[in-house]
Amino acid sequence: MKNPFEAFHHTGARKREIPLDTILKSKEETLSKILTGYEDLLKNEAKDLVWLMQYSTVIKAYSIAERGIEGLEYTAEDIEEFCYALDHSDQIPYLITGPAGIYISALCNHAQEQEICLHLRDLTVKINLLGYRLPTNKKLMVQGNVGDFTGIGLDGGELIIEGSGKNYTGAGMKRGKIVVRHNLGFNTGHGMTGGELMVGGRIKGLGKIVGGKLYERDQLIFPNEGIKPFYV
Amino acid sequence: MKNGHYQTRIRAIYNFISDNLYLNRPDIEIKGEHFNSTLLFGLLTGLNRGKELIIGEPGLGKTTSAEYVGSILYRYPLGIVWGSEISGHPEQTEEKIIGRPHLGELNKGREKVVWSDFAQIPVKIVDEINRLPETKQSMILNGVDRGNWEYLNEILINDEYSLFATANYQDRGTNTIIAPLIDRFDCLIESRHPGSNIAYTIGKEALVPHSLRHPQYEKELHQILRGDKPYEEKMTLAEGVCDLFGEYLKEQLGLEGLNKEERTHINEEMLGLNFDIDTNAFVRMMLAELSFCHKYGQKRSVETCEDGCHYTGYLCHHIKNCASNRLPMSMRKYAQALAWFLEDDGVDLEHIRLIIPYTLAHRIQWKDSYLSKKEGEGRNDPFQIYLVKAAAEETFQRYNEQREYLLEALSVGYRAFAGEEVTPLEGDHPIYEEIKKDIGVKDEKPL
Amino acid sequence: MELEHIIQKLWPRVRKKHFYPQLPLPVVIEGGEDCALEIKSKQLSISSAFYDKLKEDMDGEEIVEAVLDHGITHYMYCPWDFHTHLTLYNEAKKVVRQKDQAQRAATYFMDVVADTYCVKEKDTNIAALYKNLPKTGVHEVLTALYEKIWGEDLGSGGHEELVNRLSRIPYLDRKNWKESIKKFTEVIQHILEEEWNDEQMSSHREPNPMGEHSLENYSLEEIDQGLREFAGAVDDLQEFKETVEDLKEELEEKGYGAGGMGRGKGNPLDANLLYYMKLAESYTLPIRKLPIEKTGYLHPHAHRPWEIGKPFADIDVWTSFGKIIPGITQIWTKREGETHGEYEGIPDCLIIIDSSGSMINPRERLSHAVLGAVCACNAYLKNESRAAVYNFSDALRGNKIVLEFSHDKEQIYQAICRYFGGGTALDLDDITSLLSRADNPDIFIITDMQITNLEKLIDFFQRIDNRVTAVHLGHNVHTTRFKDGMAKKKNISLFNIKNKEDIPKIILGKVKEYLTSPAEWR
Repeated sequence: MKNPFEAFHHTGARKREIPLDTILKSKEETLSKILTGYEDLLKNEAKDLVWLMQYSTVIKAYSIAERGIEGLEYTAEDIEEFCYALDHSDQIPYLITGPAGIYISALCNHAQEQEICLHLRDLTVKINLLGYRLPTNKKLMVQGNVGDFTGIGLDGGELIIEGSGKNYTGAGMKRGKIVVRHNLGFNTGHGMTGGELMVGGRIKGLGKIVGGKLYERDQLIFPNEGIKPFYV
Repeated sequence: MKNGHYQTRIRAIYNFISDNLYLNRPDIEIKGEHFNSTLLFGLLTGLNRGKELIIGEPGLGKTTSAEYVGSILYRYPLGIVWGSEISGHPEQTEEKIIGRPHLGELNKGREKVVWSDFAQIPVKIVDEINRLPETKQSMILNGVDRGNWEYLNEILINDEYSLFATANYQDRGTNTIIAPLIDRFDCLIESRHPGSNIAYTIGKEALVPHSLRHPQYEKELHQILRGDKPYEEKMTLAEGVCDLFGEYLKEQLGLEGLNKEERTHINEEMLGLNFDIDTNAFVRMMLAELSFCHKYGQKRSVETCEDGCHYTGYLCHHIKNCASNRLPMSMRKYAQALAWFLEDDGVDLEHIRLIIPYTLAHRIQWKDSYLSKKEGEGRNDPFQIYLVKAAAEETFQRYNEQREYLLEALSVGYRAFAGEEVTPLEGDHPIYEEIKKDIGVKDEKPL
Repeated sequence: MELEHIIQKLWPRVRKKHFYPQLPLPVVIEGGEDCALEIKSKQLSISSAFYDKLKEDMDGEEIVEAVLDHGITHYMYCPWDFHTHLTLYNEAKKVVRQKDQAQRAATYFMDVVADTYCVKEKDTNIAALYKNLPKTGVHEVLTALYEKIWGEDLGSGGHEELVNRLSRIPYLDRKNWKESIKKFTEVIQHILEEEWNDEQMSSHREPNPMGEHSLENYSLEEIDQGLREFAGAVDDLQEFKETVEDLKEELEEKGYGAGGMGRGKGNPLDANLLYYMKLAESYTLPIRKLPIEKTGYLHPHAHRPWEIGKPFADIDVWTSFGKIIPGITQIWTKREGETHGEYEGIPDCLIIIDSSGSMINPRERLSHAVLGAVCACNAYLKNESRAAVYNFSDALRGNKIVLEFSHDKEQIYQAICRYFGGGTALDLDDITSLLSRADNPDIFIITDMQITNLEKLIDFFQRIDNRVTAVHLGHNVHTTRFKDGMAKKKNISLFNIKNKEDIPKIILGKVKEYLTSPAEWR
């Protein structure tokens, strides 16, 4: 039978590549690698799609995340793309906010940039555990609202949330600074031992704070006479 | 290809008819030139031995445009063309359309057929074809399709012919044209109202004996056609008279018709015009949308396409029937004819985009939901043609966006078909699935 | 004139390059020297002042070809149609929340897309054009962006952070344009704000050198179609409303008004009404075709060969040539003729719609009940019948609208879209009065059946012979009572809707049934 595509024998792809193509290709490849790391994390940590928020599981998940991103070259924009893909793309079958937040925190902590800005306003889901162990000399700005356990274990970095957070913000932070422009939920600063937590809006409830400073609408509310440090 | 000689003559014919006989406005534009669609497509039909269905309101020149084109191109005096026309009415008989027994011979007990002028001459006009009952439409199906006419075990085969059929819009007393018959028409054209200013001038000048009539040659031709000679001989004799009429046209009107050899030569020139790569790919894309069905393998008028299919954004979702194989043949013929007429070196996208609405409009059955969405939209064309114009533009936009990728997919298809181990390209459009089917790869998309 | 000559020379080549866009030959206008191109209803116009200014730095033909490439690509690729333009504007507005800034963001985005497409897919001198254009404000950033994504030296630079973010946007991926324009707008938001503030203070606006995008670019038909597609595509009524409100002035200036619920200047545009009108256009029924009917008499239909033993009465002597010979002789078979009949009259239609507190407010969210009512009205009006509306909440306290039978689409739509949000009670005298004004009209009633005087309604429906279609939402004791009450009435159809989205389809299905059997209602 005659080849019905005969006329296209010599039409190889007359592809003209412009730098935009390279940039987008590289972006896709990087995102793909980041997604692979996340999937590995889920495989190890979220069996049956259940992940329990516990001290030990967080630590373990973080070290798996670190291993997953080792050797990866990425930028702050790649992290943002990953956050976007979590929410919108069907590339990621499961969005479990705990491991997702830890993974993103690992990405931020190991990014080349000192200052990272994540634009998360459009996300429908609020990611937990952002800013986990943010180290000294790192500044993470999040445009949008965040979930629970934001900035827990902060280790010297500066975390700015241009939005609201939920519960257990700043829990266990050791040093550094967290600024939240709007409101926070319950158990704020639970177990924090140092650093500053500044809230521009209202705090629904405080946790058992050990040390550091906590401001609500520019007023220092911890330490002050009404609230004593919590000694375990 | 810059022959130019024949094209100049055809343009002269076009100009003569549009200036003197069929007064109307130009309504299409191509390559910077404006033409009247009825006249242009009439000429193309006459040149490429096509079959054209002309619709329009009564009295807007559907039949007369076909008569003038046929008369000048084939050099038959108008009287012969008039005499050979079939008019559509419910009591038409086979004897009036095709032929009848020779009465003298019949009385002697011998079968001999007297063929009608309609069956014999190459210019065939059926007036108001949709007034023919469906059984009569079936009767002329074979003749219309291949130029084969049968009666009483005798057969007459036309070497060349063009068919023009006219139809009014539906009203009391009209039937539908049966689907097999309508599919055999290459194109659908509307003969429009010329506008009040031009309409006023029609018939304003004194009626003179029609310039395309010649009683003497008409008589001679009539005698030839009625004669007993074999058909081939008759046609040779008729061609002789047509040569004389052609000289008459040249002397009196400055018009040069075409003899049979010239018409054949033109056809060969047309067939030699190739489609460029974009036109080729675009037509394939269009055909894919008109024939593909992911769920049922192909479009069928008895199977309904449901919502939720992956391909709801394409034409296959809006139509009921499948495109026939006559469609690409018609597209090719007319696109080549148009490119030839414009003295272009090949067929390009502009030619095919002009042709598609006219070759597709009568062949497509749209879903009611699509019709009702579109019928309120403002337009300058009859609804059938407008729908296809809009659909073709949508498909063209899709082509424009994914041109490079599609060309690559087709190139990979070539290689795969030739036996090379390559992976076909994936894409959203039905054409990619069609390519995979052609090279034997299974479609993995869920239903 | 030199510029005209160049256009005429280049036009065939440029058209071929872009696969023959259906655009007329571009013309020359005096124009300003800061703006190269105007596009109005498919007519491209090149500014001679701009051309003269740039000719000092570039070859004349290159300038013209680049400008034409840009203009044609807007027509052929982005935005292509008014729907795309509206969608891009709508998405940009979600970021900047200010009309002018959103319009500008959309314009710049479309320029980036069109120019990038041109640079990648066609042989073009657009890069050279940008090299010679002034680079201030947002154009400085965009030119720096072009340098990065096209790989050309355009004499710009800087704005690395912005350009890095902008360069990651997939401009040529049409499916992602909605997200892309949001990202694009986010990045340049602060520049847009600065620009806007400067203009407010100085009352002077820097024109876009490559022309503006506005409603001027589109014909009324294109706007019509675009609004229809946009109404079907948006997530909710508020988005549509906001966009149309923003563009109200331009739409009205263009002659697109609510007068006659279509086009033409008239009453000011009502975005809510327009939304339902456009959405209902996706749920239309075709106009009824002429019925095929039997003519009642036999006519000769076809010939068939006569066989020995068959009667002689129907022999066609003429086609048999006077011979009675098998194989020659033919007889007529006769058949009752079929032909196109005439239109039967279509009754008028009374819509009874519940706008009590339990129903959705159609001006806040998409109300499928209202959409269904609008679809029914459209179908009757299209077939030249009239429609009346009885919109009720607590009718006995005056929360009702009683609109007499008419052909006035706008009034009918306004009556349907009115929302009271109060209690639920009908005034049957109103309905009786309306019914008496037409000849046995069809009735469509859309309600959740939680009507305080339901028993009276049931009695009323039991007494009437009009065709009634009752669409009710939800399932409760009232609906059961209504169903039981109507069980024996053949002229009443009842539909319990689980998915509100089914309402228009159900109503249309019923209308279609009614329209194809008009004789039954007499």
